[in-house]
Amino acid sequence: MIKKPGWIKRIFSDVEDYHEKMTSPERYRRFRRTLSLVMIAAFLIPLILTTMLSYYEYRSQMLANFRWNAESAKRTIETFLTELQTVLIYTANEHTYEELVDQDNLKKLYRRLKSHYPGVVDLGIIDHQGIQKAYAGPYELAGKNYSDRECFKAVTVSKTFIGMVEMGYRKVPHFVISVNFFNTNTGQNWVFRASIDATTLDKYIDNIGTGPLSDIFLVSRKGEPLLQSSSQQYGPPLSPYPFELPHNRTGITISEERGVWDYVVLKAVSYIEGTPWALVLLKHGYLYGKDWSFFKARLFFIVMISTLLALFVILQITKLFVGRIREADEKRESMMAEIEHTSKLASIGRLAAGIAHEINNPLAIISAKTGLIMDLLEISEDFKYKKKIGSEIHGTSNAVERCKVITHRLLGFARRMDVTLESIGINNLMQEVLSFLDQEALYRGIHVDLELGDSLPVIESDRGQLQQIFLNLVNNAIDAIGKDGKVTIKTKMRGQSSIQIDVTDNGKGIPQNIISHIFEPFFTTKDSVEKRGTGLGLFITYGIIKKLGGHISVQSSVGVGTTFTVTLPIKINLSRRAHDVESESPGG
Amino acid sequence: MSKVKVLVVDDEIEFATTLAERLNIRGFEATACFCTEDALALIHAKNIPDVVLLDLKMPHMDGMEALEEIKKYNPTIEVIMLTGHGGGIPLIGAARQKHSPFDCLMKPADINELTTKINQAMVKRQTAINKGEGE
Repeated sequence: MIKKPGWIKRIFSDVEDYHEKMTSPERYRRFRRTLSLVMIAAFLIPLILTTMLSYYEYRSQMLANFRWNAESAKRTIETFLTELQTVLIYTANEHTYEELVDQDNLKKLYRRLKSHYPGVVDLGIIDHQGIQKAYAGPYELAGKNYSDRECFKAVTVSKTFIGMVEMGYRKVPHFVISVNFFNTNTGQNWVFRASIDATTLDKYIDNIGTGPLSDIFLVSRKGEPLLQSSSQQYGPPLSPYPFELPHNRTGITISEERGVWDYVVLKAVSYIEGTPWALVLLKHGYLYGKDWSFFKARLFFIVMISTLLALFVILQITKLFVGRIREADEKRESMMAEIEHTSKLASIGRLAAGIAHEINNPLAIISAKTGLIMDLLEISEDFKYKKKIGSEIHGTSNAVERCKVITHRLLGFARRMDVTLESIGINNLMQEVLSFLDQEALYRGIHVDLELGDSLPVIESDRGQLQQIFLNLVNNAIDAIGKDGKVTIKTKMRGQSSIQIDVTDNGKGIPQNIISHIFEPFFTTKDSVEKRGTGLGLFITYGIIKKLGGHISVQSSVGVGTTFTVTLPIKINLSRRAHDVESESPGG
Repeated sequence: MSKVKVLVVDDEIEFATTLAERLNIRGFEATACFCTEDALALIHAKNIPDVVLLDLKMPHMDGMEALEEIKKYNPTIEVIMLTGHGGGIPLIGAARQKHSPFDCLMKPADINELTTKINQAMVKRQTAINKGEGE
């Protein structure tokens, strides 16, 4: 036998101790509940785990996608700025400082650049002292001193410089790209400076295409964060950006924040190298977007359908399973009860027959002695108490006769009867039996109803003994009614190999507390003196039916009536019957 | 006409003697024996009964064995079995079951029924003797 782990034993403890509470419906309800819960858990846990895995997989895929968008946007901005710086460096290298400080030359250059890069607002050449030596553009900025401006100071330290978007002298948002050059003729540095319209950044950023429900913009990374390009959410350039930028200045930092209406907004921030800017990409509705909603709806649908289906199947299966177990338990219990009953009756039969045999010998002596006394009285002359003694002895002889009837019947039950088999039509037999009792029934006003099955096969059995069985049963039915009532005799097939005969009366019925004793010997309900039976009728009937390979059962309810159901095999199994007879007959 | 000789064989002494006495009152010549060995000895000593009333179950040699012995000695002697149990006449093996009793009655048997059976058995024995069987 497989040893079950402790936890299984605990869960199914109900099943283990079924012998204790065999018939309790509560036990089956609890077993069914436990089994259902275990099966549901066994199904739902993997489903929930799979769902959670799908959820996190989808989420991490979305984040990866978002990071890729941010990286791609960053690379686009960097490419644009590198291109602008390269153009400035290339242009400056094409000309000498002296050529560029020539106002006409610079204007020509300006017009040429403007035609390719419309975002270029103006160009300027600043000498080593910070004075703008030449200027080409829409403003009057020639001769302006830039010595204290960041665009000049920073570019003297590094080769190139990109400034924050500011209003400056021009009063329009722009940013500056400055490149530092060395004049080999004078041995001094000079700066080539271009102002770029901030809307140029917007145009570039608009072209990046990060998908719907996104907002992408640049924010200054020095001091208070200000917008460096337009944002759908926070407004035009130089508007304040209400959040702090992350301290991590390398790579892309992704975080979540609460946006408008408390929606979760996914945010990616990356610092653009060589600029005072940080690129911010916002993804609105990342938890509420169409894809996400569709994904969630699909997941929810699958989980719900699977769960409902599983619940239905599990509940049906457990119901069926527990029902089958209950059925088997009940069947086994009723079989056990029947076996117990049969073996009890067989034991009683053996005991009774044994006692009858032992009593028979002393009874024979008493009978012989009383007989002798009567013989002697008869041949003797008259004396004082002759009559009195004669009558007393006659009483003794009668009592012995009654004992003899009982012992002979008991021995008859146990006797190894020779069964004479012949083919019998059960319907004919029932009619024969009734012909014996017609007068009795008529006299008592009892109507006997015959419901005989059509085309029943002839059975192989003992006619005399069958007559004894049904005479006894019908007689009992008539006695149970007393006067005015109805006895119904019904014959029909039972399965393929048996015939069933029901003898039903509408008499007083048998109370439940005594119904289990009615096949026991000396048990009688006929209480009136004239009708008192020996209590052996049903006991002997039971014995004969068993010998003929049949079965008898009784159903009764008080005040409604009683039905005795006899089943007889169509063909007697001789070897089995012999075995049964052997086991039920007493020894001696 | 001589009396019918009846031998009652039963290990229940009270039963055997009382029954013999009752039969004697009814005009039979009845003798009681309390074991089969004594009964056979009596028969071998030429005290031939007409009818033997034989108890089925007795110590040492039971009724069926005694029946065989009696019939072997004189097949015209009729034997009526008396039994106190419900098993009827048990078969003791086909090879040994050569003879059958005239009848089998259950104890306690009615005296009138018994005397009728004895008389019938006597008629059968007489017929057999007349035909020249046995003796």
